[in-house]
Amino acid sequence: MTETRATRSGIPAAEGTYPPTEAMLAEPVPAELQRAQAERLRAAWAAPKGWRYWSAVNNTEVGVWYCMTAFVFMLMAGIMALIIRLQLAVPENDLISADRFNQLFTMHGSAMMFLFSVPLFEAISILLLPGLLGARDMPFPRLSAYGYWCFLIGGVFVIGSIFFDVAPRSGWFMYPPLATKDEGMGSDIWLLGLSFIEVASIAAAVELIVGTLKCRPPGMRVNVMPLYAWYVLVVGGMILFAFPPLIAGDFLFELERSFDWPFFDPERGGDPMLWQHLFWIFGHPEVYIIFLPSIAIAAMIIPTVARRPIVGYSWIVLSAVGTGFLSFGLWVHHMFATGLPSISLGFFSAASEAVVIPTGIQLFAFLATLMLGKVRVTLPMLWITGALAIFTMGGLTGVMLALAPFDFQAHDSYFVVAHLHYTLFGGMIFPVVAGVYYFFPFFRKKLLSERLGRWSFWLTFSGFNLCFLPMHLTGLFGMPRRIYAYPAGLGWDGLNMISTVGAFVIAAGFAVLAWDIVRPKGRQPQIPRNPWDAGTLEWSHDVPGESWGVRSIPHVTTRYPLWDQPGMLARMDSGRYYLPDAEEGRRETLLTSVIDAEPVQVQRVTGPTWITHLAAFFTGGAFIFPTFHWYPPAIVSGILAVACIIWWLWRDTARPPEDETKDVGLGLRLPTYASGPASAGWWAIWITMLGDATAFASVIFGFFFYWTARPDFPPDGAAHADGTLVALACAGFALSWAMTIGARELNRRGAVGAARLGLGLGPLLAIAASAALLGSVWTLAPTSHVYPAILWAIAVWVVAHSIVAVIMQAYCLAGSIFGKLTPRYDADLWNSTLFWHFHALAALVACAVLGLAPRLL
Amino acid sequence: MTDRHTPEKDSAEFAAEAGSLWRITFAPATWAGHFLLCYTLFATGCAKGWPVGTVRHGLIGMSVLALAVIALIGWRAYAQWSPRSTGRIVNPRGDAEDRHHFLGHAGFLLAVISFIGVVFVTLPLLLLEGCR
Ligand code: HEM
Repeated sequence: MTETRATRSGIPAAEGTYPPTEAMLAEPVPAELQRAQAERLRAAWAAPKGWRYWSAVNNTEVGVWYCMTAFVFMLMAGIMALIIRLQLAVPENDLISADRFNQLFTMHGSAMMFLFSVPLFEAISILLLPGLLGARDMPFPRLSAYGYWCFLIGGVFVIGSIFFDVAPRSGWFMYPPLATKDEGMGSDIWLLGLSFIEVASIAAAVELIVGTLKCRPPGMRVNVMPLYAWYVLVVGGMILFAFPPLIAGDFLFELERSFDWPFFDPERGGDPMLWQHLFWIFGHPEVYIIFLPSIAIAAMIIPTVARRPIVGYSWIVLSAVGTGFLSFGLWVHHMFATGLPSISLGFFSAASEAVVIPTGIQLFAFLATLMLGKVRVTLPMLWITGALAIFTMGGLTGVMLALAPFDFQAHDSYFVVAHLHYTLFGGMIFPVVAGVYYFFPFFRKKLLSERLGRWSFWLTFSGFNLCFLPMHLTGLFGMPRRIYAYPAGLGWDGLNMISTVGAFVIAAGFAVLAWDIVRPKGRQPQIPRNPWDAGTLEWSHDVPGESWGVRSIPHVTTRYPLWDQPGMLARMDSGRYYLPDAEEGRRETLLTSVIDAEPVQVQRVTGPTWITHLAAFFTGGAFIFPTFHWYPPAIVSGILAVACIIWWLWRDTARPPEDETKDVGLGLRLPTYASGPASAGWWAIWITMLGDATAFASVIFGFFFYWTARPDFPPDGAAHADGTLVALACAGFALSWAMTIGARELNRRGAVGAARLGLGLGPLLAIAASAALLGSVWTLAPTSHVYPAILWAIAVWVVAHSIVAVIMQAYCLAGSIFGKLTPRYDADLWNSTLFWHFHALAALVACAVLGLAPRLL
Repeated sequence: MTDRHTPEKDSAEFAAEAGSLWRITFAPATWAGHFLLCYTLFATGCAKGWPVGTVRHGLIGMSVLALAVIALIGWRAYAQWSPRSTGRIVNPRGDAEDRHHFLGHAGFLLAVISFIGVVFVTLPLLLLEGCR
């Protein structure tokens, strides 16, 4: 075997037998040993009791809180919809004021999209994924907990604003100039509150992607992964590329609102179209981000009810990936009425039609599975059927809307509102409720009521059609959306009344569902372990519940292990498979390789803590104080948040282990530490940085957008960034980067002193470079014109990242001095270097744009 | 069967499947690149008053090229999937051979989708002209 970097570091390779032989698996585990192992595992994974319960980080706890919170936000947004419908029930109604009405529909849309749809996918996945993959937990449980607390704080802040009559009111896509010029703090709440939540969403997406790539059970190669896991990868990837442009947009937008930098103000060279581009680069994929997870749920339920493996596994996987790609080509289709060259619109119209193909393939694969199987119409299946019916209808009206000429007619009318809700209910609400019924026994170890479920279904389904079918007509009769009152006698009155009645019928359906979920079920007899006779791994769960995830991590070689690998369940329970014990009383899980899922490492997993709450609280402060223009407390909060995170990483992650390898059972010994691409942390950084790079690219896109769209960019005779200082900054960043890489290599070779020198000089160089970069734009006045403003924004972006980069170098230096980081255990240094690769690249691009572009264009 | 597992199992796997992973990503990437090229060149061309007819013909040429590239990738991926020679269209087994065929199948289907995508994006180029 060739000597590679990791072996050179001295970390031993895994050794022993893999894959396990049938003889090894057949050997029974002594009953006494089984009991003792189970006892130790239970103790290691127990969720804390009493008030400390809230410090839990187990995916089973955090996932439930996450789901319930998203569900409550959904109910609140639903109540807002009811008030909207009440106001519109009769013509010339004066139930609420126009301003209230604007707040209500903006908040309804924003909350449904940002506080319910996307978080719910992540919540369900956090809850479900370890079960599907036979893993103990997510790779970074504290990250999920932190994400959850951020979501809770941010969500309460955003949705709470409606009670103080200060909610945003410019529609859920916040078009400038309406939103930039809006008095009051509504827009700031939207921008900062939702950016905060988006950051948490990205954190969860990273966690889910790494979980799917590195925490699969041994033997589960990419071609036997459950379909849900594939969708997690696709949707996680889409979140990673779709949210950053929006965050970049929020960043520019908030700079305009707080400091009057004129990014979207045409009088000073800005352009509102930039916001529309950035918003819809996010917005259309968002529709599919919402809608693919529901297909994923359907893809789990349908094989179970049809009692046969899914038809066209690869086709479904590929359609999902294809949808992910194509959906990014759709962004301008929301701007058909904005006067772009018609050929440009043609490209997007084409992409919109193309995306129908993969969507259709997935639906046909489901139908084929149902036709070839012996279907039992269970409750989850009923909801899936409803979803199919509604979604197909929404798809048809969607094709109508994608035809550009028709869109000019229907644009901004109630036809759009109807289409939107058909796709969202069919593509999201119904499948998700199906998922709730299907997975509830897995989450809570109780069953939901069959009778209440049918009531809920028929109420919601008929109410839905009663509410939204007439809206197509209302729209074609010319009723525009977002109006708070309308005159009588335009043929809209009766239709609106029907819609309102329908809305309340939907509400009744949801009330039944909510009651069914929360009603006490203490007296229900114990449920069967696999109530639907499903074939996937999550149904190997323990009833009554245990918090260890799985008793032992199985060796999986089929797509439906519970159907195809008889005897597996009993062996899992007896602890025959991997990691059946927690000898040191610590939480551990198995990491496997990305493609073939061969076991490579035992990873320590972090346990209950309060530090995540503190970190989330201060992060919240850093985002929330600026809405009141209180910058000093915001900065203090930000510093405290960073301090909390450093404390948490320092104490509990990547510590040198006591033993270098560990026996994981079935004759296999695995290393307990990994650095670089073999470790989960490195993948997390890599994936996060992809998202970060996308955000940076969006800011740079802004620069070139102005150049194409505006004749006065850069304005004649404008002052440019100081060339010498830009060159100095460029050199400084490059050198600091070199120092970091050098330190990593030297440290590996045992030259610890030299490595420390590099890590000491690196921060100094980076600080000097940041100062030079700021200095180069210092004399430009960002409020005067968009050109200096965008140069400033780029500089600010790079300097903010430099702060993080410098902290990382200093963290590694401290680690080296205090014995956390050694030539052998150097994961932190690998991760920091990876961050620096991205940072240095961004800094060099920034320098090129600041220093060179104005002179060349 | 014993064999040594190193933490670099990942790099070894990526090396073994580098070809297939490359094929899987390359077809949609070609679509995306072609799409962005069409959009940006046209938008910039119209804004800056470039000769739009030339841009259009150039882009049609690019479409042909993109289609050829995707077709090539698709053909290679089809060979890897090899449903005819193995006689098996689906690859559900958890072994290295099925994984290899599966990645081929994946690459092939993505190439098909990307091909259709490029054809769709080319249509407006053929049907519309000018900046209005
Ligand atoms: C009880 C069920 C619901 C009812 C009765 C309802 C009703 C409405 C109405 C009447 C509007 C149009 C407001 C206007 O233009 O004046 C609207 C807008 C909207 N709804 Fe719903 N809705 C419901 C559920 C949902 C769900 C589940 C979602 C998403 C998952 C959703 C997302 C939206 C969005 C994004 C808008 C656009 C907001 C805007 O114009 O800024 N709605 N809804």
